[in-house]
Amino acid sequence: MKYLLWAVITFVAFGMQGSISLLDITPNFTVILACFAGIREGEGKGLLLGSLIGIIEDSLSGNLLGPHLLSKGLTGYFSAFLYSKIFVWTPLLGILTAVVFTMAESFAVYTARSFFGTMPSGFGAAVFVIAMQSLFNAPLGIFLRKKSE
Amino acid sequence: MPRKRLLLLLFVVIALGVMTYQSNRPPFLPLKFLTGALNVFYGAKESVQEFISSPFRRMFLREEENIRLKTELSQLRREQQAWQEAFRENEKLRAVLALKAQAQHYVTAARVAARGTDQWSNTFILDKGMNEGIKKDMVAVTDKGLVGKIAEVTTSFAYLLLVTDINFSAAARLQDSRTEGVLSGTGFRTCQLKYIPYDEDVKQGAVIVTSGLDSLFPAGIPLGYISKVSKKESGIFQYIEVVPFVNNANTEIVAIVRRS
Repeated sequence: MKYLLWAVITFVAFGMQGSISLLDITPNFTVILACFAGIREGEGKGLLLGSLIGIIEDSLSGNLLGPHLLSKGLTGYFSAFLYSKIFVWTPLLGILTAVVFTMAESFAVYTARSFFGTMPSGFGAAVFVIAMQSLFNAPLGIFLRKKSE
Repeated sequence: MPRKRLLLLLFVVIALGVMTYQSNRPPFLPLKFLTGALNVFYGAKESVQEFISSPFRRMFLREEENIRLKTELSQLRREQQAWQEAFRENEKLRAVLALKAQAQHYVTAARVAARGTDQWSNTFILDKGMNEGIKKDMVAVTDKGLVGKIAEVTTSFAYLLLVTDINFSAAARLQDSRTEGVLSGTGFRTCQLKYIPYDEDVKQGAVIVTSGLDSLFPAGIPLGYISKVSKKESGIFQYIEVVPFVNNANTEIVAIVRRS
């Protein structure tokens, strides 16, 4: 049941990502989902769920398989790792986590695409897009916490 | 080494290996079939949106009727709001109709159902596909100019590669001087006009149109205008930045045109 719920949430996140655009920039909700998976399920399952989300995103993008797989998997793993190291988790820390992980994840995808395929855009434009995506995701960081907290 | 770290290392090595393997081969996409399900989601979303909004629209019209009886001024304002959207849509449809009359190889008009899920791919998903006669490499235009070309088609949906995408290229020429070059996407909002000789006098604001020499796009379709010209101290070609006439952020309806 839990995994069915994950599948539905992932599907809705992709649907929303395709339907919304602000300033010609598509938001990156799936990275928050990978973070959430890591925080809720721990390092191992975070890595697994994150990479599953990544495989789907790579397949939907019609490009190279791997950039999202790698970045989302690492996001799932490291979000759990970070969460386990912090004694008192606050909403502000959640917001900061959302911003930092969105930046790192988008930058990893951009780098992997540039390195293994075609550079998807100029560096300046990429920095602007990544900064805006981080800004969009910042409020969602409030929800990044364990069920019990 | 702890088991989790070993797992992480293994994961990173596999992911990098998969990407290296694909770097000179066609991409391997095991879950590509999910795009169909996502497209059904977009279709359902549009239907639900329509289903929810239509009773409210009717309610709004009734309320408008009552208000009209109370004050004429209030009625005029509300009516203006209610029909503004329809008026704008009507204008766009008229533009598409005009395009249909002009374009000899008009195929169909399609609505933008969604954008590509990935920021790094500048694509649109159109609500029409093979059933309506759309084929790969057909051209999408609006009354303002070229929007892109069809990259992939399914029975009911089509994927449109926009002029701003990094993988997009079209043979182009400067409308006034007739100098030929190649227009390529940069991945974000603007395009670049390549292979214009260093000595060529290019002015900001000059209009770029398709030349038709690539046998892919019909000649004479407006592409954009030059926003920046940069000449290095030495070199063969100039760096020319082009702003497309079609704004991806507010494109709703496109006309699909055959090559020839």
